[in-house]
Amino acid sequence: MQENVINHSKNITILEILDRVLNKGVVITGDIVISVADIDLVYVGLKLLLTSVETMREKRLAIVKPNQETK
Amino acid sequence: MDNELIYVYCLSDSPLRLDHISEQESLKCLIFQGFYAIVKQVSPDEFSEENLKKNFTDLPWIEIHARDHIRIIGEVMQNSTVIPFKFGTLFNSEESLGKFIRNYSGSLTENLKNIKGKEEWSVKIYCNLSLLNQQIGEISKDVLTMEQEILESMPGKAFLLKRKKVELIDKEVQKVMQICGQTCYDELAALSEHTKINNILPKELTERTDDMILNVSCFVNQGRVNELLSVIDELLKKYKSVGFDMAVAGPWPPFSFISIKEK
Repeated sequence: MQENVINHSKNITILEILDRVLNKGVVITGDIVISVADIDLVYVGLKLLLTSVETMREKRLAIVKPNQETK
Repeated sequence: MDNELIYVYCLSDSPLRLDHISEQESLKCLIFQGFYAIVKQVSPDEFSEENLKKNFTDLPWIEIHARDHIRIIGEVMQNSTVIPFKFGTLFNSEESLGKFIRNYSGSLTENLKNIKGKEEWSVKIYCNLSLLNQQIGEISKDVLTMEQEILESMPGKAFLLKRKKVELIDKEVQKVMQICGQTCYDELAALSEHTKINNILPKELTERTDDMILNVSCFVNQGRVNELLSVIDELLKKYKSVGFDMAVAGPWPPFSFISIKEK
């Protein structure tokens, strides 16, 4: 099997990783509950770390929303 | 220790080997009813509900543990088909995890069946708007026609047309982005068993100068991965000169294609 992305994970931004591991996979709550608000806090923290308030207020640009066909 | 918690990384229906994992101290493989789970015993001092909540405000803590979460699953995945768990899934005891597995065994088996032989790849499409704006006169017939009309018009009319041209350029840039995004998506989807559209990540978080216009996860049969990568190369060649870029990464653990519904 070929090497997977994890072998290069030092080059992967923490954002890319969090985007996968926080809300995807088996998202069942175990015995310890992490609330949605806690997860939001992570993103808020990331934003504070990476941006200034001014740049965050910049107008977001157009987003492509492709038509997804069900296969 | 008696009251340690069980942190779950991933699960499979075939034996999972720990000896291939780097820094695998304190990892364990538990077996319940034919399922194998990679877990770690962790201290409530760090992972109890209260302490976890506190640690979720500590980005360096999150970074270390999130990277570890995905690294361990990734390493297990090299030899087995695994169902990845969300970061921070904890059980009070091995018995409690066993109970979860018993309750969800049907769904776990179904998910394992669906993910076998497939790989998750992420594809992000970016657009450099200033470059696309510069190129739009050559791409859009409407803009070209209007430029010609401006040249041939008297100053008053030319002034009005120039104002209209600004609006037209905006519209045409949006149109080209839509077409490019849709074309790329259609080609990726045609090669994938499933796709999942993810949220667009803002520029401030991607730390790139161009804008993300599409963020998609593709679930591809292992035999078609090279084809997917070639298609992405071709699309990149086709669109790069007008300001588009694509970033592909994989294979990821199949985070985006697991569906376990809470009972």
